[in-house]
Amino acid sequence: MQLTTTQLKPLFLQWATIMQNEKEHLIELDSVVGDGDLGLTMSDGFTAAYRAIENSDEADIGKFFYLAGKTMSTAVPSTMGTLMASGLMQIGKIFKGKSTITTNEFDAIFSAYFDGVQMRGKANIGEKTFLDGLYPAIQSLSKSNNSDWLTMAESALTSAKQGVTATQNMIAVHGRAATRGEASRTLLDPGAYVAQLLMQGYYHFVQQSTRNS
Amino acid sequence: MRKPKKLLNNPNHVRQEVMEGLVYAYNGQLKSLPNYCAIYRPSIKTDQVIIVSGGGSGHEPTFGGFVGEGGIDACALGEVFTSPSPDQIIEVTKVAHQNQGVLFLYGNYSGDGMNFDIAAEILAEEGIVTKTVRGTDDIASAPLERIGDRRGVAGIMFLYKVAGAAAQLRNYDLDNVYRIANKANQNTRTIGVALDGCALPQSTSFNFELDDNQIEIGIGIHGEAGLRRQTMTTTDETVTEMIDRLCADLPYQAGDKVCVSINNLGAFSNTELLIVTRKVGIELNKRGIDTHDVVSGHFCTSLEMSGFSISLMKLDDELQALYDLPCNTLGWRK
Repeated sequence: MQLTTTQLKPLFLQWATIMQNEKEHLIELDSVVGDGDLGLTMSDGFTAAYRAIENSDEADIGKFFYLAGKTMSTAVPSTMGTLMASGLMQIGKIFKGKSTITTNEFDAIFSAYFDGVQMRGKANIGEKTFLDGLYPAIQSLSKSNNSDWLTMAESALTSAKQGVTATQNMIAVHGRAATRGEASRTLLDPGAYVAQLLMQGYYHFVQQSTRNS
Repeated sequence: MRKPKKLLNNPNHVRQEVMEGLVYAYNGQLKSLPNYCAIYRPSIKTDQVIIVSGGGSGHEPTFGGFVGEGGIDACALGEVFTSPSPDQIIEVTKVAHQNQGVLFLYGNYSGDGMNFDIAAEILAEEGIVTKTVRGTDDIASAPLERIGDRRGVAGIMFLYKVAGAAAQLRNYDLDNVYRIANKANQNTRTIGVALDGCALPQSTSFNFELDDNQIEIGIGIHGEAGLRRQTMTTTDETVTEMIDRLCADLPYQAGDKVCVSINNLGAFSNTELLIVTRKVGIELNKRGIDTHDVVSGHFCTSLEMSGFSISLMKLDDELQALYDLPCNTLGWRK
């Protein structure tokens, strides 16, 4: 199945909706290890991204994601906001010039997202960050490339959840949580949880798209 | 418990109104891009490298108050204690630059670093060349072997002074403005002490609290935890430890020539600050370190935090020649 930018708009709506719905939960998670602004940053950032593309007639997949990322970078210039914006902008760079993507290309979409965040934040796998939630989901998407779209999205979400749980046995290296050293180990990483929410939004989007088609 | 007390119009309009205050205070010598909360110098020469800075509000006169003759050329103002966004940096850079290159010069914080890096990448696509130097003077924020992780605090005024003089008054090219800013950064060290915390404009509580008889050595300018808390002591004992730590770090030693900045973090009294200044002089003299120049006052604040910091920059001939040139900014006139 081929998707155009018009068909991708609901994905951004799903992301904005889930970040709004989970705002309080994110604030709660972030208050334990950070300064508690993650819920606001994510809901404001993804809402701004959706608003930017909602009425855009941009047909280029790359420019479409880049616009969303650039808008987010302006709306929420805090660390996590900038990282999420960098992910979207990297998808923009990789997919520039394409007017459609196939449902099998979402591993490449999320890989580009991963690369954008990783290059900007300079974190590695296992350092208790967003990346630890997203990485298992990408692996799952790459492996299950012969299954149907909805099954792939569902396994990716399951893998992301497992990744988030696994952060409860990692020592934080970045941000305020890092100042706790060993004491940070059992805490759940709010950034990784954001990755799970991205996959959950994606799963809802796939459910919706497959129901419609 | 004590509650924060602030005279404001609206806690959400702080940076915009700070910008408007700066524009009036400069009395014609500062222009703004109101939609981007950014400022620049109207009299930039067409043959100069420009220096762009930026960072969270709440540290006034840092960062915007160092725009001016012999200082920096442009600045993007973030919300209180928050990085400016890439579009602010991009727009003010585009307005101010003269095709001779741009130096991004700001404090080393992850948020600022990422936003300036995004701006640099987008400007590069448009053919505007940037280089970046991040101030890393806070010796309490990471050990010497991880100096690149250290945060930038009050010492950035020396970097602005020297790099601004080089770009504006001595027509250094971009490679050399970059080189001299790096050299100034390598020669600059700062340590701070807090007596009390501060509160964000929207907040009803302080970012940290110290007991009545406690001080914190090594505090950061956003209230980041320092090296330790200790029972209240004397000015002399506190300053001696701070100078010991600064001197051991670079090191600064007998025969060195230094510039000294004794900075009020906000709500410390200038009376106490001069007693600090007195002891800094005694301790440097005792170590045979030659004081080339001293400034004392509010340079890099942390809202209403009570406390102070001491910064030293070691000079060589080139740094001294640039340092001695005049500057005319709100934060520092020389």
